[in-house]
Amino acid sequence: MKPLTLTLKEPPSQRVELSALIPDRLSGMRRSAIAAIRLQCGNRKVKVGDLFSLSGGDASQLQLRGDLGKFDGIGAAMAAGVITVRGRVGHQLGAAMRGGRIMVHGDAGDWLGANMHGGRIEVRGCAGNQVGGGLPGDAHGMDGGTILIAGNAGMRVGDRMRRGIVVVKGDTGDYCGARMLAGTIVVFGNAGDFAGAGMRRGTVILIRKPERLPASFNYCGILKMQFLRILFHHLTREYPNLPELRGRGPLCDRYCGDLATGGKGELMILRASYPY
Amino acid sequence: MLTRLSGGTVYDPMNGVNGEQRDIYIRDGRIAPPPADPETAAVNLDLRGKVVMAGAIDPHTHIGGGKVNIARALLPEDHRPDPVPRTTITRSGVGHAAPSTQATGYRYAEMGYTACFEPAMLPANARQAHMEMADIPIIDKGAYVMLGSDDFLLRMLAAGKSQREINDYVAFTITAAQALAVKVVNPGGISAFKFNQRSLDLDEKHAHYGVTPRQILHTLARAVHELGVPHPLHVHGCNLGVPGNVETTLKTIAGVEGLPLHLTHIQFHSYGTEGDRKFSSGAARIAGAVNRNPNISVDVGQIMFGQTVTASGDSMAQYRNHAHAHPKKWVCMDIECDAGCGVVPFRYRHQKFVNALQWAIGLEIFLLVDDPWRVFLTTDHPNGAPFTSYPHLIRLLMDRSFRNECFATLHPDAQKMSTLGSLTREYSLYEIAIMTRAAPAKSLGLTDRGHLGAGAAADITVYTPHADRQRMFEKPDYVFKDGELVVKNGRITRVVDGATHTLRPAYDRGIEKSLREYFDRYMTMRLDNFRLSDAEIENDGRGRLIVHRGRAA
Repeated sequence: MKPLTLTLKEPPSQRVELSALIPDRLSGMRRSAIAAIRLQCGNRKVKVGDLFSLSGGDASQLQLRGDLGKFDGIGAAMAAGVITVRGRVGHQLGAAMRGGRIMVHGDAGDWLGANMHGGRIEVRGCAGNQVGGGLPGDAHGMDGGTILIAGNAGMRVGDRMRRGIVVVKGDTGDYCGARMLAGTIVVFGNAGDFAGAGMRRGTVILIRKPERLPASFNYCGILKMQFLRILFHHLTREYPNLPELRGRGPLCDRYCGDLATGGKGELMILRASYPY
Repeated sequence: MLTRLSGGTVYDPMNGVNGEQRDIYIRDGRIAPPPADPETAAVNLDLRGKVVMAGAIDPHTHIGGGKVNIARALLPEDHRPDPVPRTTITRSGVGHAAPSTQATGYRYAEMGYTACFEPAMLPANARQAHMEMADIPIIDKGAYVMLGSDDFLLRMLAAGKSQREINDYVAFTITAAQALAVKVVNPGGISAFKFNQRSLDLDEKHAHYGVTPRQILHTLARAVHELGVPHPLHVHGCNLGVPGNVETTLKTIAGVEGLPLHLTHIQFHSYGTEGDRKFSSGAARIAGAVNRNPNISVDVGQIMFGQTVTASGDSMAQYRNHAHAHPKKWVCMDIECDAGCGVVPFRYRHQKFVNALQWAIGLEIFLLVDDPWRVFLTTDHPNGAPFTSYPHLIRLLMDRSFRNECFATLHPDAQKMSTLGSLTREYSLYEIAIMTRAAPAKSLGLTDRGHLGAGAAADITVYTPHADRQRMFEKPDYVFKDGELVVKNGRITRVVDGATHTLRPAYDRGIEKSLREYFDRYMTMRLDNFRLSDAEIENDGRGRLIVHRGRAA
């Protein structure tokens, strides 16, 4: 069976909550029934069929096409299946997701993978603020799963994250890894200011040294962190588009912090060789 | 205009009507006596085969005041999965355990409730509480003002002031805060907490004032009685949630020496220390004491399994419980030296021994207290469970086999520690009508509510009888509020504004002189700003005050 494909007819003028359309819920439904699902659009309800033209039938391989920049909550809370988006997406893509995969060929909005518990998200473009963060009031952000962003990410990547991996191939905004409780963030580009501010535990791995590090991080010397080999081996095997990591590690400059909140977190800046 | 509700099966315990087929007439928002010619009614609603009761009254539900707002602010995740969309006549809202004001009013009305009472209004927070309640549509509301840990009263007690002066202070506070009754929460304990005491038993002295909870309880119970406040002192006792507190509760009952007392969320105060886990049910002893002492009434504060949030003035108890917070966040604060406030989110679980036994203890109390006029149906919303679980609770009380099925799913050790399985009592519709309508109205002194006699306010709920009592009670066919049809088939059809019930006991204004000095010296506002005017509640016609006359003292 061909993947169930939803092609946007015309971008709506107001934001649309799309969290109802996840493979777990759609599988086994007839296309007409899916077209009749009502979505919240601003303060109105609109039918899926009014916004999208539908083709194909395999809902476990859901495809979304068009400029979905105003569509929030795509793949939120999904536990299985694959969603592929060709175009921009709105906020909270994959929020509270438990399993399955989301692939976005385009840019994503804020709160990408917020409160995510498991599964994988891959964004070929750039992402907004609070990647893997916790929504207001939540005790923590993502606690499982992997997020890979090919472009840049906004401020507060992995804010209060508790477990899982976030990889950003481009730059990030300020406060990358702020208030982290645990988990791993890898940034290839520039990490902005205040990386790791307020982090309790967890690891932020940087390939380039930022211009400024928070004052509450202590330099702990050049170390061979053998776990980096395992981590990078895992990542390059799972994601063939991460050749940059091949052969990296385990040598790094290690900074411990944030000393203001216990100092059990670490910033690691990879290096090719000893300076002496 | 005369409306006739014809042929319904009426349960009206206040007038002794037990399931009789009667016609009820409504004129100008009131229940009218039957006219000579029934055909003169302009509207006739055929209710044959339906059950007709007065609108239900919730005498203890935290729906207003600072702590509810704190609970809302603390739990955005309680709101996100539970949106209430707007309709053409209702406004949008959110929330499961701590719903927004509008959602609170709609959900109560949709369940057939027409009056709800906020039991813990701090005097300093009265304005906020009333404004919040003003935002709750349809239902009538009122509040009990919280005393017993306020600096002024404790100073008076420490200085050995006379009962008459204390009565004046209590009456002043009821009047200034536009309250209907008086509540005491962990008498003296909230204040003692601020003096680093982490528990305060009935006869333990407050470290600073040297006053004991027993003294505070007795003085306030006497004040409430002597002032002619219809509702007895509403007591949230010492040692809430502490295993072994059944002894404290029994001592409290004995210590009040025959004065009327209402012990609230008694389930949380009925724990023994027997068994391997040193936690057991004291329900039988409590129910026995309630049965023996006609001056005592209780509401249960049943817990239900699931996520909720506990919001209480008892900062001492809430501080003690904060380790159990789920999700792991909590708030504990002082408010204007009046008392305090603690908000701790909770998830009660079937398979957790303590929670399972709490559930069973609540139901044991319901079933072991003989007189339904003295035991009211509450979950201490939202502390035991959100009020939306009432229909489920009613089914547990009315349907023994369903109750036993639920009981069988509990933690096995909790089942062994409870006698619930052997209790055969099933509540009748008449008894449900007593405990949810007639009894709270009578206790609160609402003479024209909670019954269907001529002259009463036309707050009426009509149900379709169903073997599944939960289904029956969660979706009434019709709800009338002051004669207006507000709910049809469980959906809001019209939004009206409810009234605020208050009381004005007489007192000697001389007390205001010493209060004025006290306010000027210590408080963040002046006495005249502390007082709520009628206009603030009436709010250009949006609100309405119903001033009750106290019982002749």
